[in-house]
Amino acid sequence: MPTIVSIVLGALGMWLLLPRPSLRGRLAGAALAAAAAGLLAGQLPGLAAALDQALFSILAAVTVASAAAAVSLKNPVYCAIWFAMTVLGTAGLFLLQGAQFLAVATIVVYAGAIVVTFLFVLMLAEPGARAAYDRLSWEAMLSAVGGAMLIGVLSTVVGGLLAGGPAGAAAARGEAELAAGVLQDGHVAALGRAMFTDYWIAVQAGGLLLLAALVGAAAIVSGGRSPAAPEADPRPPEDQPPAEEH
Amino acid sequence: MENELALLNNYLVVGAMLFGIGVIGFVSRRNMIIIFLAAEMMLQGVSLSLVAWARYHNDFGGQMFVVFIITVAACEAALALALILMLFRASGSLDIALWQHLREANQPAYVDEEIPELEVKSPTWPRLVPAGRQPELDRSDTEHRPSV
Repeated sequence: MPTIVSIVLGALGMWLLLPRPSLRGRLAGAALAAAAAGLLAGQLPGLAAALDQALFSILAAVTVASAAAAVSLKNPVYCAIWFAMTVLGTAGLFLLQGAQFLAVATIVVYAGAIVVTFLFVLMLAEPGARAAYDRLSWEAMLSAVGGAMLIGVLSTVVGGLLAGGPAGAAAARGEAELAAGVLQDGHVAALGRAMFTDYWIAVQAGGLLLLAALVGAAAIVSGGRSPAAPEADPRPPEDQPPAEEH
Repeated sequence: MENELALLNNYLVVGAMLFGIGVIGFVSRRNMIIIFLAAEMMLQGVSLSLVAWARYHNDFGGQMFVVFIITVAACEAALALALILMLFRASGSLDIALWQHLREANQPAYVDEEIPELEVKSPTWPRLVPAGRQPELDRSDTEHRPSV
């Protein structure tokens, strides 16, 4: 079935690319032809792994580069936009690992978070990096060196552990077992079954946590005022006439 | 399987990079909104490595962890934005350095040495399209060649 789709797409793309009386849609034709070529290459047994690798490389590069941009740009509006790109890249990586539900949930939840962050940036921040605190950072060199060392230690330790240590039961696992487990077709159903059988206490705790966070956020924003003890009203009460009225 | 091991390693390195970049942003930036974004980025890095472990061990536990990380991230966003709003109301600025009197007792205060200049771009004016009657050209001017 994907072969037929890719052939049809390729034919459509080539038709759009060929010189015709009206030259409209050549860009769309090129995109269609490229998509068809990629789809067909994914069908080939030798190229599929290389294509997966290339997809992973592109997604990882986009994710890391946009993360670096999100923390380093001066203008907070651009930071929010690049953080959205990081979230999209992470969702793509989730999808590549077969975690479809998590990819969609990440996009849905973080879309809301990013929109609210945008609102805050528009309300509170000074546009165009006009504020001095957007053009300064605490100990930039020290924090960069520390973060780079953290990344280096994590990646070398992980690489060494994986290369030297016993690969464990997962080493002997084949594709078939993965296809029956995490990568199965009814992924969302299996995840939901796991969630509401093995982890149902955690689900209850998560619901409680969300409720507590909601109440806490409302309490913080209302500033600790309770309706029983309203703040002292600076204006005089209205039913008493003002004192100096002649 | 060698392939699965390499895949796990790749994902763990990308997760570590996201976490490290988040740490750098969290400790060095001074805008409270960007600090919040950097904290979210650290959560993303941890989620990525948990998903990779879930695939490696062929177990849904890692993915369940990520579901709860997303839940906690939502709670964190609500609380953090409420706190940012309150701090902005109190100080009128998003600068976290205004709250440095919360530091430890015997630490010296942080003072900005120099504030970099704000680069102001020269304004770009709109290009005007030519309008009106086209001037008539003298044919002898355009066809005359002073030297051959």
